[in-house]
Amino acid sequence: MLLLIAKRLAAVVVILLALTAVLFLLQHISPADPVKTMLGPGASQELVAQTRRELGLDDPISVQYVHYVGHLLHGDLGTSYRTRRPVGTDLATFLPATLELTLFALVLALVLAVALAVATTLNWPGAGAFRLVLLVGAAMPAFLLAIGGIILFYKQLGWLPATGRTDILDAPAGPTGLLTVDSILHARPDVFVDALRHLLLPGLAIAIGPAVSIGRVLRSSLVTTQRTDYTRTARAKGLTEVQVMRRHVLRNSVGPALSMTGLQVGLMFAGVLVVELIFAWPGLGQYTAQSIPVGDYPAIAGVMLLLGGAYVVINTVVDLLQAAADPRIEA
Amino acid sequence: MTAAPVRAAAGAVSGGLVAEVTNLHVGFTRSGRRIEAVRGLDLEIRAAEVLGLVGESGSGKSVLSLALLGLLPESSQPRTSGVVRVAGTDMLTASPQVRRQVRKDALGAVFQDPMTSLNPTMRIGRQVAEAAGSGTEALRLLRAVGIPEPERRLDSFPHELSGGLRQRVMIAMAVAGDPALVVADEPTTALDVTVQAQVLALLRRLRDDVGCSVLLITHDLGVAAQVADRVAVMYAGRIAEIGPTPTVLRAPMHPYTTGLMRSRLSLTTERDRPVETLEGGPPDPSAPLPGCAYAPRCPLVMEECREVLPDPEPAVGHDDHLRACLADSSRVVELAAPPRRADVLPSPREAARPGEPGLAARVSGVEKTFRVRAGRGRKARLAALRRVSLDVRPGESVAIVGESGSGKSTLLRVLAGLETHERGDVTLGGSTRPQMVFQDAGASLTPWLTVGDLLDERLRTERRPGGGKLQKGERRQRAAAALERVGLPAAVYDARASELSGGQRQRVALARAVVVPPDVLLCDEPTSALDVSLAATVLNLVQSLRHELGMAVLFVTHDLSVARVVADRIAVMYLGRLVELGDAVELIRAPKHPYTKALLAAVPDFGVAPPQLKGEPASPLSPPTGCAFHPRCPLATPDCADPGLDVPLERLRHGAELLADGDERRVACIRPKEL
Repeated sequence: MLLLIAKRLAAVVVILLALTAVLFLLQHISPADPVKTMLGPGASQELVAQTRRELGLDDPISVQYVHYVGHLLHGDLGTSYRTRRPVGTDLATFLPATLELTLFALVLALVLAVALAVATTLNWPGAGAFRLVLLVGAAMPAFLLAIGGIILFYKQLGWLPATGRTDILDAPAGPTGLLTVDSILHARPDVFVDALRHLLLPGLAIAIGPAVSIGRVLRSSLVTTQRTDYTRTARAKGLTEVQVMRRHVLRNSVGPALSMTGLQVGLMFAGVLVVELIFAWPGLGQYTAQSIPVGDYPAIAGVMLLLGGAYVVINTVVDLLQAAADPRIEA
Repeated sequence: MTAAPVRAAAGAVSGGLVAEVTNLHVGFTRSGRRIEAVRGLDLEIRAAEVLGLVGESGSGKSVLSLALLGLLPESSQPRTSGVVRVAGTDMLTASPQVRRQVRKDALGAVFQDPMTSLNPTMRIGRQVAEAAGSGTEALRLLRAVGIPEPERRLDSFPHELSGGLRQRVMIAMAVAGDPALVVADEPTTALDVTVQAQVLALLRRLRDDVGCSVLLITHDLGVAAQVADRVAVMYAGRIAEIGPTPTVLRAPMHPYTTGLMRSRLSLTTERDRPVETLEGGPPDPSAPLPGCAYAPRCPLVMEECREVLPDPEPAVGHDDHLRACLADSSRVVELAAPPRRADVLPSPREAARPGEPGLAARVSGVEKTFRVRAGRGRKARLAALRRVSLDVRPGESVAIVGESGSGKSTLLRVLAGLETHERGDVTLGGSTRPQMVFQDAGASLTPWLTVGDLLDERLRTERRPGGGKLQKGERRQRAAAALERVGLPAAVYDARASELSGGQRQRVALARAVVVPPDVLLCDEPTSALDVSLAATVLNLVQSLRHELGMAVLFVTHDLSVARVVADRIAVMYLGRLVELGDAVELIRAPKHPYTKALLAAVPDFGVAPPQLKGEPASPLSPPTGCAFHPRCPLATPDCADPGLDVPLERLRHGAELLADGDERRVACIRPKEL
């Protein structure tokens, strides 16, 4: 297990190095000039040249890269050209909102996936309709789902809010930055409910696609597991169907679904960035969207490093969970 | 429903029945085809008896066991009629809850493969406790089924146990709660022969201790003969014959039973003629015949048989011996008389071309080690072959016999070039590469290719004597000839593996191996997945191909009866080493190595209670020091465990006066004088 974690840490380093390298290459090719953005259209030629020099943008790209990685090793992600603040500070500001939305969507996806898989495997009444709704949802891209959700639940029905994280002005702002958690810590049930209502639409828009992918994998392994000899043994012991499902079938079926979850998390990050724009969610998606047009490379790189690292961490957790679920797998 | 009615049934033990099946019909719909699996079956299981249910695959014996357990698979849309009464409950019509309660209180089940029948992610203790009700009871049961150090085993996962221990765990779960009936469906088929003897003895002992009845389902008459009080022979979903074990096996009264007995290989089967086979195959379950299902294969068939469905009726003079046959019993008795067939195989010695110099294959000092995962991220070394040497003469047939983990298949794969080896030499005499036939013919044929494609593939690399590739027409001709040689109709050329029966697939595998005749044919348990009658035809085919084409055959099997019939010489392997090598008939007649003796004694046969070899084959991950067999050997002394000891295979000189002339017996034992 320690070996696995060590291997994954090494993988994180390699992946992050590769990511930054690609980003530097893109920066080299891209026509956007960050200095022009920083100084505004009226800046003099000399000032532009001087700033370029100060920022090190005149150096060969390889030298810039080495500098960047050098700073990275000291935990310095650079300074945003746009906000003029350290990228690390920016990330810390915008991350909690995105983290809350992603985690909420992940939990939602898992709940929906398990419900879909179990309901269709055991042929519960209404399982067909449930499956149809999810399938139609999954067939649509997240942004379309988001817009559709706003039109239906906000504009037409007025059930759910369409923008931001909360409408309550004096909502607590610490210590975790996750509004649902902070509201509980500050004993503010009104904020908690409001935060959940705000999370629901964007969360669903992100979760439905992954939910169907995970659910289908889980369903097919549930069906396979139900036909195994040991399930027959469990039935021959005289266990109830619920006991058979809970003790023997579920645990032996989660492996493939966990792998799928790990893969889907990567896609969910992409979904989050788009959906945040639609719902005016003050998270990394907004931050990235504003950084890209102006060529704010340190900011973009910071977001990419964060998401890349998170992806590897989540997949490591998935591997550890698989090993925990199946004693035959050596972690 | 609580335990009360069950107790009542268990209370009716004296002369009572624990299960009664009346006029049972079970049909399924599989991929749109209606299949009649059980067709009007009557069966009584008496209190505290072991009833052996014998039948080939497709005879409906497993369907019957599932019906008894009330576990007919919903997904196959079973259609049932009749009554299956277990502990006073009809398992066909009772509600799922009631059936479940009967399973819990009155039934136990042991299935074929203990690896797949235990939940791989749940500890043994919990799995047994689920059936036993408590951890203490689970511990008591594990001890009762003879699991060493049961306290420690409670926390083991199934994959940490050997096959024999796993099956003991299954049996512990089956007898939990003192059931009235234990249904054991092929409980020893997946086990090694020495372990099989232990498990059969355990089943019988538990019957005596617990007082439950056991329905022992098996395809092997020999297994039924060992432990069953009564034997029922099933054919095409009906009982063909049922009666006390000695009566049925000594004086069978149904032509099918007679046929089964005669096609069964034993250690005394005649070698020089083709093995007796049951002509034809089992009937198509989707189109049942109006009359007796065995009629198309029956040597005694009469006009009547094709129209009238015979019911089991008492045989003359035996109230307890029922048979479902219209033919006069005296004619069946005649049928059981010694064979009249005169077709004798050409002598293998002729085919062996004794004057020819050189060897077909030579293996000398070969070692093969696999690196496997061994828990907690560590890698372990599995010594599959440990300094194995073997010469195979042209045209000769050598059987390699051993239990699982003995390295016999690895040796074959090394010869075929499918595995590399670390040390030693493999020399092949001929100009052609050896060809291999695998155990599971279905899985070894690519499912989306036609038989023609498969054969063609092999022929494409073939050159004409003058050089140059074969033309399409020639290849087609050669393929057709190969199919004819293995006794398949030409139409098979365009069929895919899924459209063929098990026996046909194994024939296709053989056709592929010999479409370009190799010098050495390697067979890895080609008959062990087949029914008795099919196995016999495949063995005959291997023999006749060998004689026609002059190939040497290396035949891996765990079954000494098979080895004796197919081979000129037998090599016995244990944990990666050859322990005995000698003339096939002589080695069976007078085994020398203690392991060979134990292996022979464990072969199930009629009226023989095998002396049991203690323990199970050790793991090849950590073979015992010195002679690997010493922990199980009755002759072992402390010297045998010496880590520095290396026991080579040596010509047996001491006690050689007991050996027949020309028997160049080689044995790996440090005390040859005592053998």
